[in-house]
Amino acid sequence: MGEKAILYDGSKCTACRGCQAACKQWNDLSGEETTNRGSYENPANLSVDTWLKMEFKEVSRNGNGSVAWLFNRRSCMHCTDAGCVMVCPTGALYHHELGFVAYDKDLCSGCGYCLEACPFDVPRRSGNTITGVGKMDKCTFCQDRVTQGLEPACVKSCPPGALSFGERGELLIEANKRVQALKAIRDPVTGEALYPNATLYGDAQLDGLHVLYVLPDSIDKYDSLPASPKVSDIAAAWQRYLQPVGYAVVGAVAVGLLLNFMVARARMIQEKEGK
Amino acid sequence: MQHEVERFKLRSRWLHWVIAASALTLGLTGLFLYVPQFGPVAQDSVTRVIHRIAAVIFIGAPVLYFLVAPAASLSFLKKVFTWGKEDLEWTKAAPDYYFGGEESKMPPQPEMNTGQKLFALVSVACFIGFLITGIIMWAFKGQVSSGVFNASVFVHDVCFILGGAMLLVHVFLGAIHPRMTESLRSMITGKVSAEYAKSHHGKWYEETTGAGEVAEESPSGPAQG
Repeated sequence: MGEKAILYDGSKCTACRGCQAACKQWNDLSGEETTNRGSYENPANLSVDTWLKMEFKEVSRNGNGSVAWLFNRRSCMHCTDAGCVMVCPTGALYHHELGFVAYDKDLCSGCGYCLEACPFDVPRRSGNTITGVGKMDKCTFCQDRVTQGLEPACVKSCPPGALSFGERGELLIEANKRVQALKAIRDPVTGEALYPNATLYGDAQLDGLHVLYVLPDSIDKYDSLPASPKVSDIAAAWQRYLQPVGYAVVGAVAVGLLLNFMVARARMIQEKEGK
Repeated sequence: MQHEVERFKLRSRWLHWVIAASALTLGLTGLFLYVPQFGPVAQDSVTRVIHRIAAVIFIGAPVLYFLVAPAASLSFLKKVFTWGKEDLEWTKAAPDYYFGGEESKMPPQPEMNTGQKLFALVSVACFIGFLITGIIMWAFKGQVSSGVFNASVFVHDVCFILGGAMLLVHVFLGAIHPRMTESLRSMITGKVSAEYAKSHHGKWYEETTGAGEVAEESPSGPAQG
């Protein structure tokens, strides 16, 4: 079985937020008390009870006074080169053979390192600052569903079919076709291209995300989609460099001490016997 | 019975063992987060809570000692940061000496020999490193940038590797090395034989027994020579 992915097509999405609700329903997450901020975007941020939310942004299109209402899906990107997996000390976060970033909440130690390593600011933590007791929460790719041959809850709920689930390679092909089709759409009156900046996101970022995006506008219009996300060097440095260095240093010291013990003892015995 | 000398006061021994116990607890609970295979031991935050309790003791004990014995603490710190020609001489003689060579080739040492000073220096540096990074990671997570937080974890880990390696050497020399026959005892009872003091810290022995204040005699009377 190859790697799976979720494809989000921003040009088909109606921002009904059925996906948001379905995620909460499937994962037994409670609703949050919110205030009207003058936007349909609700809640204001991801949280331990909100693993998926839709974003709304109004941008000027073509500079001629027309406005585009861009929708976007914000949730775990399930990166191939995932920073959270790199820094997780207990192995609670790991790469599943199906490609997504799996999460075993029982193993979570509540350290919160993943929050500091994610380039997309996705993981959220609830806990006690003084004792340090706590747990992390994020989208699980519906691990309990996809490992049973079902699609994620969000994908199942999507009315216009903006969300699809399947083999990552196949979805990439489909997504590219969709981007080309968008670019070809012309205004029936003026003839100008309506989506000249349509693009794909998630194909190459962090060695490939397992959530792919067909975007009707350029990446820079989307606040939560950095063009070149990367795991910071200092976050990666622990697993890549410092951990092996630590083993080497302690190993060398242990071996050195053993040698010292053997040689010193032998020489002292020799000296004593020589007298 | 042999002539004995007081090497470590009671308050020093208390400090040593409290630091030792808390440092070992910190190191072990930290190790569970460092070695991925031990990771599951850290689940549900239990070892992290123990780590924090031990941290308070680890940091608090020397601070308390400083308040109780400021002069002794300052003189200790002064010694740790005073380095000179004698240290070079120790360094030249050390490889042969510690690998079982002739004792007479090592020049007479002060109360803290160069190696012990080095360990003390690394300990003080790690203490400061752990304190600063630990506070950032404990109290200021979410308030400092990820860059600062991750840098703190990195430095915290560097102190762990450095301090841990030096701790292995310290325990080895204190309790296992064939020449250091009385050092563990000295940290438990506070005393060493005059003979041991003379051969291991000859300079210190001359200075203190010359003044005649510190040396204590065992009940059956002094043994000369």
